[in-house]
Order: sequence, then C-alpha cells, then structure tokens
Amino acid sequence: MKIVKIIMLVLLLVFVGIQFISTTRNQSNSTPKTDFMFVNNVPESIHKQLKVSCYDCHSNNTEYPWYNRIQPVAWLLENHIKEGKSELNFSEWENYSNRRKKNKLKSIISQIEKDKMPMYSYMILHGEAKLSEKDKKALIIWVSQLRDSLK
Amino acid sequence: MRKLRTITGVLAIVFAALTVMSCKDNKKEHSNEDGHHTEAGHDHSDGHHNNDKTSIDTSREIKENSQKNTTTSPIIDAYIQIKNGLVADSKEDAANGGTALLEAFAKYDMTTLSGETHKEYMEIYESTKENAEHIVKSPIDHQREHFEVLSTDIDDLITLLGTEKTLYKDFCPMANNNKGAYWLSEVKEIKNPYFGAKMMKCGSVKKQIN
Repeated sequence: MKIVKIIMLVLLLVFVGIQFISTTRNQSNSTPKTDFMFVNNVPESIHKQLKVSCYDCHSNNTEYPWYNRIQPVAWLLENHIKEGKSELNFSEWENYSNRRKKNKLKSIISQIEKDKMPMYSYMILHGEAKLSEKDKKALIIWVSQLRDSLK
Repeated sequence: MRKLRTITGVLAIVFAALTVMSCKDNKKEHSNEDGHHTEAGHDHSDGHHNNDKTSIDTSREIKENSQKNTTTSPIIDAYIQIKNGLVADSKEDAANGGTALLEAFAKYDMTTLSGETHKEYMEIYESTKENAEHIVKSPIDHQREHFEVLSTDIDDLITLLGTEKTLYKDFCPMANNNKGAYWLSEVKEIKNPYFGAKMMKCGSVKKQIN
C-alpha cells in the first residue's frame, strides 16, 4: 500500500511540476496577405476542408482544443505544429516560389492519396478532420488543377 | 484503502483546478499582421495577388546555357549518387547521396551569379535542399517521390548553368503513379531509379546533354 501511495505522490508532483513549463501558442488574429486562401480562388467546400483538416498544423493560426493548456499535451501539440509548419505553411503560401508551390501541391496530393494526412492521431480528437473518399477525390482534383496552372 | 481513495480525490481536484487556471490566460497572441485584412470580404482582385490564373508569370522558361561549366559537377555527382542508390534499391546509398548533395550546394560559389540567374538559382536551391533533406530521412518509396521533383530541379539547374558532363535525360511513363517521370543518368543504358530491380529497363532516353 505504501508503495502505491509513494508512486501516486511522485506522479502528482511531476504532473504539477510540468504545468509550469510554458509553450508558445500558434495563434494570430488576422489572415496574412500571403495566405493560401487570399492568393488562390478557393471554392467554398475546399476552403472549409483545408481549414478544418489542415490549418491547425499548417498555418499560423491553430484552433486549440480545451485540453491544450495541460502538460504534456501542450508540448506534443507544440512540436506537431512546429514540424507541420516547417513542411508546409499555408499562411506563408505567397512567399514560396512557384517551384516550391508546385512541390508542396504535389506533396499534398500524395499525402492525401496515401492517407498519411491528416494524421491519425489528430483525427482521433478531431473527427471532423477526416476526409471521406469523395472529399479526397474532390480535393485532389482541385489541387492538381492548381498545380497545373502554375508555371 | 481509504487513503488511496483520498489521494485519487486530491489528484482529481488538482487536475480540475489546473484546467480552470489554464483556461484563464487564453489570450491570443498578436501577430505582425495584426490589424490588416481582418475582414472576411477582402478584395482579391487588386492585382497584387495571382488570383487570375492567366496572369501568372510565364517567363519561367530558363534560357539554355551551353557552357561547359565544371562548377556544377559536384552537385551533379551527388545527384547521380542518389540516382544510383535508388537504382540499387538502397535507401542508405540514396540517403548518403542526399547528404552529399546538401554539401555540394553548400560549397557552391554563387558569387559569380547575378540578377535573374541568381534568383533562379536560389529558387532551385531552396527546392533541392528540401527534397534532399527528405531523401536523407525517408523510406525508399518517399525518397523516390522526392527524387522525381529533384530531377526537375537538377535538370533546370543544368539548363541554367551548364555542365561539362555527358548526361542522358530518361523518361519512364509508369513512374510517378503512371503520370511519368524523368531522371538524369550518366550512362546511356536504361537503369530505372523509380522501380529499381522491379522494372529496371522501363524507360527510354529522351535527350542527350553534351
């Protein structure tokens, strides 16, 4: 019994302790001029899908879930977002050269086709981010057209 | 047993308290763009954005440089190393080639480049760097995806700067999900980097450089 008590106490202390570690939040109040949605003519349905399924980790504005302030969740989210943005940041879209835009669009298509994105762990808590087969098809067609239109 | 229950209770209370506390400072960070473009109905057609697809700059055609440039050789060698790694179905060899490519670019003296050539070089470099980094850290199927884009980059780089090497531009219609893909090779014989041993002979020479 005593051991259980000690373990619980240690866990409690660690849990309380890590709450004091702060993380950077990925939020901004406005959409920058360079944002994908401003630069491109994005149809309503595609717009909504990208926002819901991609923008949390691939833009400068994350819609945080309620549990985001509790460690170690906040850490995990912070790292995911940092990595996501370094691969593709929709907020910075217009800063990419056409060459890179085309690369990104190709990767978007391939990641969706192979069900690598949106990430499984993300969809557990964000059921609405999941793309149906129909959604995927529509997205891929639209993204391919955008890609072909770039020189 | 009662003590255990008390501890669990305390834990639950602490957890709840922290959750409430943590929600209090839920203030949004202010970004640099603060104040601009906050309204949803922002006018897209002010000419500053490439909204209109027909207005996209079409001057990206690179003028061919037929100079026997030797400075590009380390870059091409590293690319060929990646290509041969993929031909041999070796993820490691391809990854080493990726590292070599990053090094070759880091050593490239771009002070000789100016104006449009420099701008074009930088765009190619950015893209190549990203692709090479993925090739360094990815499984082979993903390496091959990035190799497809990388091949375009290196081909454009050669067009831009020239080379003294004799190279073959090969095409396999089945690669890249049957959309077809190019690659550059130092040998005339077809050795397919997109399929490796599975389909070594798929493809044909489309163009010879030098």
